[in-house]
Amino acid sequence: MPALDIPFFGTLVLSLTLISASYTMAVAIGAGRGRPHLLPSARLGTYATCALVVVAVCVLAYAFQVHDFRIRYVARYSDRSMPWWYLVASLWGGQDGSLLWWAFLLCGYTFFVTRWLRGRYTELQPWVLATLMSILIFFMVLMLFAANPFATYIRTTPGDGEGLNPLLQNYWMAIHPPSLYMGFVGWSVPFAILIAALITGRLGNEWVRAARLWSMIAWTFLSLGLLLGCLWSYEELGWGGYWAWDPVENASFMPWLVGTAYLHSVLIQERRHMMKVWNVFLLALTFFLTIFGTFLTRSGLIASVHSFARSDIGQYFVWYMAFLIIAIAALMIWRLPKLKADNEIESLVSREFAFLLNNWVLLGMMVFVLIATTFPLLSQWVRGEEVTVGPGFYNKWMVPLGIVLLFLAGLGPLVAWRKATGSKLARAMAFPLGVGVAVALLQVLFGARFGYPPVVEPTEIYDTTTGTVLAWMSAVAPLVSFATCAFVLASVGQEFWRGMRVRMRRGEGAGTAVFRLVSKGRRRYGGYIVHIGIVFMFIGFTGAAYDVEQEKALRPGETMAIGKHTVRYDQPRMEADPNKRMIFTDMTLLDASGAENGQVAPAKFIYRTHPQMPTTEVAIRSRPSEDVYVIMSTVDPSTRRGTFRIIIRPLVAWIWFGGIVLLLGAILGMWPTGGEIVRDAAARARPRRFRFSPAGAIVTLAIVLASVMAWAGVAAAQDDTSSTLHAGTVVINNPTERQLFARLLCQCGDCARLPLDTCACGWADDKRVEVRELLSSGVEPSTIQESYRVQYGAKALAIPSDKGLDRALWAVPVGAMILAIGMVVLIGRRWQRRSVEAHAEASVRTNDELEYDSRLDEELERMEDA
Amino acid sequence: MAELLPWLFVIIAVAAMLGGLASLWLSLTLALSDEVPGVARADLTSDARLALLTEKEALLQEIRDIAFEHDAGKLSDLDYEQINAKLRAEARHVLHELDAGAEGFRDQAEALIAEKLGEAQ
Repeated sequence: MPALDIPFFGTLVLSLTLISASYTMAVAIGAGRGRPHLLPSARLGTYATCALVVVAVCVLAYAFQVHDFRIRYVARYSDRSMPWWYLVASLWGGQDGSLLWWAFLLCGYTFFVTRWLRGRYTELQPWVLATLMSILIFFMVLMLFAANPFATYIRTTPGDGEGLNPLLQNYWMAIHPPSLYMGFVGWSVPFAILIAALITGRLGNEWVRAARLWSMIAWTFLSLGLLLGCLWSYEELGWGGYWAWDPVENASFMPWLVGTAYLHSVLIQERRHMMKVWNVFLLALTFFLTIFGTFLTRSGLIASVHSFARSDIGQYFVWYMAFLIIAIAALMIWRLPKLKADNEIESLVSREFAFLLNNWVLLGMMVFVLIATTFPLLSQWVRGEEVTVGPGFYNKWMVPLGIVLLFLAGLGPLVAWRKATGSKLARAMAFPLGVGVAVALLQVLFGARFGYPPVVEPTEIYDTTTGTVLAWMSAVAPLVSFATCAFVLASVGQEFWRGMRVRMRRGEGAGTAVFRLVSKGRRRYGGYIVHIGIVFMFIGFTGAAYDVEQEKALRPGETMAIGKHTVRYDQPRMEADPNKRMIFTDMTLLDASGAENGQVAPAKFIYRTHPQMPTTEVAIRSRPSEDVYVIMSTVDPSTRRGTFRIIIRPLVAWIWFGGIVLLLGAILGMWPTGGEIVRDAAARARPRRFRFSPAGAIVTLAIVLASVMAWAGVAAAQDDTSSTLHAGTVVINNPTERQLFARLLCQCGDCARLPLDTCACGWADDKRVEVRELLSSGVEPSTIQESYRVQYGAKALAIPSDKGLDRALWAVPVGAMILAIGMVVLIGRRWQRRSVEAHAEASVRTNDELEYDSRLDEELERMEDA
Repeated sequence: MAELLPWLFVIIAVAAMLGGLASLWLSLTLALSDEVPGVARADLTSDARLALLTEKEALLQEIRDIAFEHDAGKLSDLDYEQINAKLRAEARHVLHELDAGAEGFRDQAEALIAEKLGEAQ
């Protein structure tokens, strides 16, 4: 390979891949259109295409390792001092490489789905392969014509590369993007199965069952990617939080919301053959949002802290998204007659209706996030005015919606499928509601004593009635959230208890009963465990209401007290490696008695290739009750005096713990039952001792990958300590300052979207001093905000005003949600009426086929024993 | 590791390239021949039956679930009886269709066996 012209060879392989994918798609379509003998050919073509993408990835990886700076992408994202593992991670560090990485993951999925499809779903299979190839073709066209990772410099080749952005030089870079991409790309498979079902008209439960495992895998990886993204933000961006509602974060959150709605609503289709159009819509929307998310991430259309890679590939995505919308809409309209529901909802008090409400909240949240994310763009197009929608807006609106969703996670398990009577439901809810109320009472009585007061100080994002209502909702949110968490935990606990009691009545011991309960109902109990994980995560989110923050300049030996902690600054220390210089500041945590309680060492890294971008690495001491988050803002080498910002973040660790529980629940839920694995093996019936089970292999592989990524992430989160932030200081003296600073964005030019209550740059510091002087001279905060808007434009405010077109930002999603809930209730009632009529007809048709009944009983016994 | 890694990528690339080109060649050969592999044809005929089996399994699962929910106290006796009767009626219908479909399936299987035997002779 060294003798080869690597850039040319790489481009050649990409071209070959495009040809191979196009050929495979054509052959697969031929197989789908009545030439079944072409199916094996299409399968082989798929394997060939996947292999060619592997070649392309290896060529680029090789170019990185041998520093082939003729390739522009290699020169821009690596340099000679980088260790081999960052050179590997650089593959997806920039735009062009991440597109290749996307194609590589798609091929990984395609390879396994092709293996899995062998001998089954033969009518769907050709169209599944053709759809997957069509997605790959889009990415190949994108790379060959707009973002070729093997493109070379026209004139001179640099002697050394520019190096990877220091923000990306950490272990998160190795695990966060791949897991998120695994989640994004994973939705291509259920989408391909859906398209196959639409084209062939096989729209019963067949495609739903075929897509189930793959949608669970995609959802699990997307959840893992989001969780690792939170960890990355918390540890690496170093602003003290884990979720900033950045457009790129939102881009990955939106498919998760819709995917979650799909996973719930598809259960109704599986059981009741209802909501077929809705499920097709949800799955198609989830896939569409993954493409839309990539478009947002890569086009640079909306300002983002993730702007590590941008270009003009946006137009290609726009065309592709337009094609997707037209194609999906056309297929859905064509197949509408086959998508008619076979049944109707029997009662509004049923699990089905609880899932409808869950879908309503999840889609409502998605619409909120979508409108808020794209509002700056819409405002620019409609009225030519740039605006910004900061985290404050999202936090105020998402918290109440999140709590409603959490409540439904507890309510759903209590309601029976099809029909629950009011008295039965009331009895089922008594204990969980009692626990929720008891926790609320305990918090009201004793919460403040332990640092968790039930009501926190209200902060307004608008000076209007809406602002006041939102402020009070967020002020009581901790009380409501903890009570709801208790309600959900009690509800899920009660489900386990009731299930165990039922099995114990059949003569099983308690341990056996629990084991068999879970093993016989993995999907159901896996789902419940996911709900428990979400409760733990909500406990962590609620802890943010009690954050305490302080900043102080210290000399070695001096201490600062914050919360119940005292932190002593010991000494600065310098270290170096070939890539960077590192200035650490050793600090000791002291308990109330003055005894040493742990060490932390926040630092500043100065990279050889980016000396103008010194980064600040935070140190975190994590405990279940709280995290001590230490940022070294500045240190003077001559006097050794340092400035430190310390944040006490209660309950953050519960987010990571909840995330792990959620992943375990998801894995349990998607683990194929013994029967499925046996059927897989029996279907192949090979004459050898070991029988390969594709379903088992796929899930095992997914679990191994997810576990490695999760372990790496969490292990790192426990240990350390490195994090990155532009240096500076943030001083906030009172709630008025906090509320006002949170509404004003830094305008230095480098800190897009960071509000003054977070931004630590010099410009922000000067502006805070200026605003503080105005406040102390008696100027109203609203006047200061208005003059800031006049001076820097509407985009300088973190949240648009609550008047005129700006009001559409919340009025449109709220209106849509009100309209949707009205429709959900109306449709539910109409279905219910029809169901009563249909039921009457069905009971007339029923006959007594005793033989079939006894066969059914035998089958049920077999299921129980399996 | 840093020295070995480039060669590891070279080895994987060469293996993938050989595998890919071989698969492509085989795929082209198969596509251009008129041979209809029996397996592919047999697979096609089983799809309808697979759908019925899937349906049967879903119904059995649901019958089991509502019995469980009734035992756990979530469903009243009257609701349980009504829903159970309805689900059993649907399941009986699916079993009936499976039985009816098996006849045709057997004919097709016999035809394929005869075809294979004919090829062997």
